[in-house]
Amino acid sequence: MSVKTNKKKLLRIISQILFLVVFFYLLIRTGAAATESFVYSDYFFYFDPLLLIINFLATHTLAAIFLLSLIPVFLTLIFGRFFCGWICPMGTINHFFSWIFRRKKTSGVEVVEKKLLKLKYIILLFVIVMTIFGTNIGGWFDPFSLLTRSTTLVVNPSVNYLTETTLKAGAKDTGILAKGLKPVYNFAKEKVLPNKKRGYLQSVLIGIIFFLIIISNYYKRRFYCNYICPLGALYGLISKFSLLNLRVDTKSCKECNICSSGCTYNGSPFKDYLKSECMVCYNCEDDCTPDSITTEFRFKGVERNKIDLGRRRMSGSIVSGIFLSSLPRISGVSISKTHPFERPPGSVTEDEFLDKCIRCGECMQACPTNFIQPAFFETGIDGIWTPILEALTGYCEYECNRCTQVCPTNAIEKLTLEQKKEFKIGTAVIDKDRCYTYADGYNCAVCEEHCPVPEKAIRFREVDTWNFEGKLVKVKQIYVIPDLCIGCGICENVCPRSDAPGIINTSEEEQREFEY
Amino acid sequence: MKRREFIKKSALTASAVYLSPVLAYPASSGKNLVARVTGESPYDITKRSVEMLGGMKEIISKQDIVMIKPNIGWNRKVEQAANTNPEVLRAIIEMVFDAGAKKVIVMDNPCHKAEDTYRRSGIKAVVEKSGADLRYTDENRLVIHNFKGEKLKKWPVFKDFLEVDKFINVPILKHHASAGLTIGMKNLYGIIGGRRGKLHRNMGENIADLAKGFKTHLTIIDAYRILKKNGPVGGRLSDVELKKTIICSRNILEGDVVAVDLFGKKIEDVPFIEAAFKRGMGEKDITKINLKSLNI
Repeated sequence: MSVKTNKKKLLRIISQILFLVVFFYLLIRTGAAATESFVYSDYFFYFDPLLLIINFLATHTLAAIFLLSLIPVFLTLIFGRFFCGWICPMGTINHFFSWIFRRKKTSGVEVVEKKLLKLKYIILLFVIVMTIFGTNIGGWFDPFSLLTRSTTLVVNPSVNYLTETTLKAGAKDTGILAKGLKPVYNFAKEKVLPNKKRGYLQSVLIGIIFFLIIISNYYKRRFYCNYICPLGALYGLISKFSLLNLRVDTKSCKECNICSSGCTYNGSPFKDYLKSECMVCYNCEDDCTPDSITTEFRFKGVERNKIDLGRRRMSGSIVSGIFLSSLPRISGVSISKTHPFERPPGSVTEDEFLDKCIRCGECMQACPTNFIQPAFFETGIDGIWTPILEALTGYCEYECNRCTQVCPTNAIEKLTLEQKKEFKIGTAVIDKDRCYTYADGYNCAVCEEHCPVPEKAIRFREVDTWNFEGKLVKVKQIYVIPDLCIGCGICENVCPRSDAPGIINTSEEEQREFEY
Repeated sequence: MKRREFIKKSALTASAVYLSPVLAYPASSGKNLVARVTGESPYDITKRSVEMLGGMKEIISKQDIVMIKPNIGWNRKVEQAANTNPEVLRAIIEMVFDAGAKKVIVMDNPCHKAEDTYRRSGIKAVVEKSGADLRYTDENRLVIHNFKGEKLKKWPVFKDFLEVDKFINVPILKHHASAGLTIGMKNLYGIIGGRRGKLHRNMGENIADLAKGFKTHLTIIDAYRILKKNGPVGGRLSDVELKKTIICSRNILEGDVVAVDLFGKKIEDVPFIEAAFKRGMGEKDITKINLKSLNI
């Protein structure tokens, strides 16, 4: 690296940091911070042309707001794949870790892993074909979905947990350390950390995937961006026509290969400049000691080395996409008459939901009570990480409609607070073998107490029954009025049974499927 | 040890003040007095009711750390009468500070998410302005407390409630299907943690044990708005009734008895009153209670 950093490179780093900060700021604000006024973080999703395509293909309608993604597409036609190098927050994180893991010297001329570079185009094609044939898996790979999901479900709760544990351990100690840490702990607990610990059912799997993505940067710079990201592939295809080109002055070039030391696509720009892979990071321009590398605007591209997918790979990807897309549709929950799981309030019907949902986890981040959880295979193999409701970890807060405000693809439609209060997510069903008022014959009714419906969807009736001592007693037995119950799940959440709740929130009569 | 000392000290000062002739309401001020004040402003009637008991100085000593425990259980607004009225709280915090308290803490263990309930109830805004310390529960601060009751023995309590010198209980009077009503004694559910729902079995006995095993120095019952039906969470404005009353008592049971009367229920409908009476915590017959009413 030269002593003086190239101005363009500096600008790029500033831009990366700025967008990363904005992204996290919006995401944290979406979260369950103790405020009712919050900004939505789905703006980033609207600037994602991959989502424009898959959302259009999956729903056969064009959501007008996604047309915003034509702005970066237009800019790509001028500047090339700048989005990956300058804006994408996932890219910035990978960039940062690539820099952390950087090696001191590159010996010899690096060979570009062209075979591996093709992978992301194959994935793009595969995702598109899958989506056309009814299985939308775009969210598995899309960088915004991936990063939002990983941050919400893993990074955020994990950082909170580690902070609390460390401070707690320190504050417990006696002596100077505790004296210093106690006020820090109290402050963190009061102002920063969530009052109740948060966690998610799929945090382990998502965490391992995120960890592997970070670690892969050790193997190759920006591994995910170069070899997997379908959005990167899409921008790569568009950038073939872009005006900005790299120019190597062959006279002054000493072919020292120093330009390969920072190249984001792990290439040697002086001899194999791959326009579709270049993220316009200006590292090579900065690194080049004889200043042989510059950029210029030109209509005719000078791609020295093209990537050819090959007919076999393309057709292979298409055929396997078609074949595999049918599998989730002919197995699992999709052929069952019922589905036991519930979706957040405002969700569209199940088939449409699977088409629209990009598994970004925004709704889970917005949910203040940790009620919305990522699914594993409950909703079918293609429904992995879609939001389902788990009453044992949370409940739907009656005076809250945050999850209905944040969905970028309207898989959860926008509801006002009044609409949400009326929206029937499901119905509570009593398990009479477990409920204390039935099975043990004594008064309990914690669920009745918590029922947020003003008229109470859970009520009592006094009956004569045998209690656990075999005596005939009068007991206030609970019952549910399905027409009033909105399926918020607080009854299941607060049920005092320690093994499994005596009242269960199910998808029975859910409004999204049966409106009458 | 510290707690015991303070109880002793406060008993001493209280009796000293009781004997002194210079008092606002000398005739009526007895340790067993229950004050019931009705009026337009919740702030004013709260102040007046405490004055009728002889003023906050009788209860609070200089340099005391005081815990005020309102009901902030639910994510509901003031008008829905599910939480203690913030105006009542404002009056109490002012009086406690005027009496020379070193520190005032306001805290509850809510049923809904704490951040939401504290804010929507309006209590967060009032407390933060007043200079008192608004605290959230922290599960790391739970300690096992021995209530030494007949039914309720050991149960986790938030340390914050045990580490203070004086404890002021500020419930709101509400309908509660399983407990009969929620008043002073039921409000003490907010000091405990763990799986509180388990205590719903034999609820009356458990509440009485809870109230007996934990010293409450003053109970101020907010009956300005009361929730007549569908409690304790409520939500419908038509279930709310304006009573514009504050009941103030040192004896937690006798305050509750007056509140039951105000609500229009019978003592038999509220099992924990009967249970507390059996434990010798005070009178359950309103005619035997030293009750002073005032209308301003």
